[in-house]
Amino acid sequence: MNLEDIIRETKAYYCLGCGVCTSSCPVARILPSFSPRLLVEKALLGFGDEILKDKELWSCLTCARCTNRCPAGVDYLNFVKDMRIEAKKLRQEGIAAHDGILNTVMELQTMNLKQDRLSWITDDLRVAEKGEYFYFVGCLPYFELVFGNEGYCDVGVNPLERAVNTVRILNKIGIEPVVSNDERCCGHDLLWNGDLDGFKRLAELNIRTIKDSGAKKVICVCPEGYMTLKRDYPLYFGEQDLEVVHLYQLLRDELGRGQLNFVEDNSDVPRKVTFHDPCSLGRIAKIYEEPREILSGIPGIELVEMQRNRADAICCGTSGWVNCSTCSKRIQMDRLKEAEDTGADTLITACPKCDIHLNCAKYNSDVKIGIRDITDIIVEKMI
Amino acid sequence: MLDVGRHPNIDLLAYSEVEKLEGRSGDFKVTVRRKARYVEEDKCTGCGACKEKCPTVVPDAFNVGLGDRKAIYSWFAQGIPSTHTIDPEHCRQLKGKKCGVCAKTCLAEAINFDQKDRLVEIGVGAIIVATGYDVFDPSQIFEYRYKEIPNVVTSIEFERLLSASGPTAGHAGRPSDLAVEAEIEALEKKAGRLQRAITKFEDKYVESSSAFSKKYQDGEYKDDKDRKRWADKYAEHLAILETIEPIKKKAEGFTVAKRLAFIQCVGSRDFRFYPFCSGYCCMHSIKEAIIAHEHETETTSTIFGMDIRAVGKGFEQYKIRGGNNSNITYIRGRVAEIMEGPDNNPVVTYEDTRERRVKSEEFDMVILATACAPGRGTIETANLLGIELDRYDFVKTDPLSPVDTTTPGIFVCGCSVAPLDVPESVSQASSASERAAEVVFQSDLKKEKAVA
Repeated sequence: MNLEDIIRETKAYYCLGCGVCTSSCPVARILPSFSPRLLVEKALLGFGDEILKDKELWSCLTCARCTNRCPAGVDYLNFVKDMRIEAKKLRQEGIAAHDGILNTVMELQTMNLKQDRLSWITDDLRVAEKGEYFYFVGCLPYFELVFGNEGYCDVGVNPLERAVNTVRILNKIGIEPVVSNDERCCGHDLLWNGDLDGFKRLAELNIRTIKDSGAKKVICVCPEGYMTLKRDYPLYFGEQDLEVVHLYQLLRDELGRGQLNFVEDNSDVPRKVTFHDPCSLGRIAKIYEEPREILSGIPGIELVEMQRNRADAICCGTSGWVNCSTCSKRIQMDRLKEAEDTGADTLITACPKCDIHLNCAKYNSDVKIGIRDITDIIVEKMI
Repeated sequence: MLDVGRHPNIDLLAYSEVEKLEGRSGDFKVTVRRKARYVEEDKCTGCGACKEKCPTVVPDAFNVGLGDRKAIYSWFAQGIPSTHTIDPEHCRQLKGKKCGVCAKTCLAEAINFDQKDRLVEIGVGAIIVATGYDVFDPSQIFEYRYKEIPNVVTSIEFERLLSASGPTAGHAGRPSDLAVEAEIEALEKKAGRLQRAITKFEDKYVESSSAFSKKYQDGEYKDDKDRKRWADKYAEHLAILETIEPIKKKAEGFTVAKRLAFIQCVGSRDFRFYPFCSGYCCMHSIKEAIIAHEHETETTSTIFGMDIRAVGKGFEQYKIRGGNNSNITYIRGRVAEIMEGPDNNPVVTYEDTRERRVKSEEFDMVILATACAPGRGTIETANLLGIELDRYDFVKTDPLSPVDTTTPGIFVCGCSVAPLDVPESVSQASSASERAAEVVFQSDLKKEKAVA
């Protein structure tokens, strides 16, 4: 896409120069050199080449706070995506975090490779090879290798437990999902880091794998995976006759139907928890209430809100495994402090990346609040 | 307005609603529901003695809920016709309880609890719709936290706080402070009631409460039920005095709001809501800032906006005068969000686009210049009269006949067409009445011809 196309597609020409984007941006508040407004202004003034070479293009967290609030309806999110795709053609890219291991893992998956993705499936979990529902596990097995207990960069998380928990919950509501060893990374990070070709290769492989399983519905838990399958696969490959649903939407509908029940709670004092809306789940997928309804439906749990909740929630500080900086750490610490200020003992996340990033920030800090995934709480309390 | 009330050729049907429209231009038949006021309009002298005695207190809608009124009330002091109305939702007598205090008080004998709604049919030649507008509900902009932070108010609310006839008699008190003061007042009232009860006991038993309480606690008067009530009331009284003390101490530091932030374009020039400019908000923010400064010279105001649209004769000078004489700072930048800081102070985050810096600043109060939204009344009226609305639910007109609706003989003026300021609305009103007069004269001419 050339600059004019990007400006037209994202309605950047409507920009009022009001500064809402920049003052909403969690990065710009800390790094004055980054400004969404100025990037758009540069594009409108015809300095597209300058943007493509600008290192700040990779500072955007794609958190959609700006896009969500823009009074002129400028689609800044896609502006950044398209600009990055152009920049990538000029061999520009962000600074990879964790020595680039995750970026390498993602690129490896675009190639012909033999995976061992399913070793986490124990005998008590009921999964199928063919069936109506496909559980898209996503990057969890790779995250386990990098960030888990025996990982290369142990930050005290166990990502695969989410996969185990998800299958437990699905089994409980009577679903035996297909899980496949041929599944690949969904391609979210490659796409948003500008590697359109890499994304397309992954997407093609995944679409084939899902279709071969005979599934009609794909269940996602990772919010980024959910949005990639739901929004980006049809965008680049046309409608696929696949219904992409989020686990929480399924569970919300399931509440009160009798299959998903929780242990009674007899303690006098409810356990206070607060919920961190992941950007892709909240602002981008607009799934705000489902996780809250599920949490509120569990006896003995009291949900308290941070001041910045739902559409106002703040990003977990980094995205796409690039440009993790002191700025990211400040965003993460601010968020953890905000969670602690609510008086909650647990911060509930709903995205494996938020879980990793917030736990990473918590490491070596004086933050006490526990960080758990919503599926952990469900499995802990369900009967 | 007074002129309208006095004019011999104008019949004013206030507190009434149009129910049905028949006929056509020049010969309409309108059915109007004249709602029961339970007060005879022609007898009421507007003296207001009834509302002083009325025991039922209701939030005052004219003061956007910031103050109170009684169940018998006049909408506002200068309202035309100068009469009172009983609110049947809240009146004790109309709710079937014993009361009637207003009727006993009224020397003009204007109160009539048996009044019923009346349907009147009137023949008219032309109709003018002037249903006004509604204030945009800023709670739709989640990031401004209008409902969550008490000291974030709309400009209408601030207007009432600044008004001498408003709930604070013109002192721009902060809503969070007003709530604390109301709490103190309620507690003091309760303490007063308890004090009176305690005094009665003290007189009865000729003993001070503190001395009695000591004996009671030591186990004397164990089975005395009357004395138990005394002890309970005394304990409750002490507890209230204890809670009231720290609140009172906190309230001692209350002053009027001195650091004001005005946020422009709340709901207007915003593709999520109304993409157009409401036109008058820049000027009323400047006006409110100037008045606040007149009331309290230490007041500083910051007006946040993309540009100050001071369009009109003398408006730009007014803006500059505000900056020079009334401590107003104009900042080019739209506010991204408001958070609650310490002491209920709103904290505003914005980019000063001239300095290219993101800043956060604390204020005593934030005033939202809310957009002009189409009135709910306009939508109902339009459906009833069969006139078309535009895509935003303002009345549809043609640029070359700006006061004509889509139905002949029905005209429109003011903010039911589009956001307009006062002088523009007044001139449109004149224009609409001229257009209406044309229709009426023509139909009169036709009638004469038919007779001849």
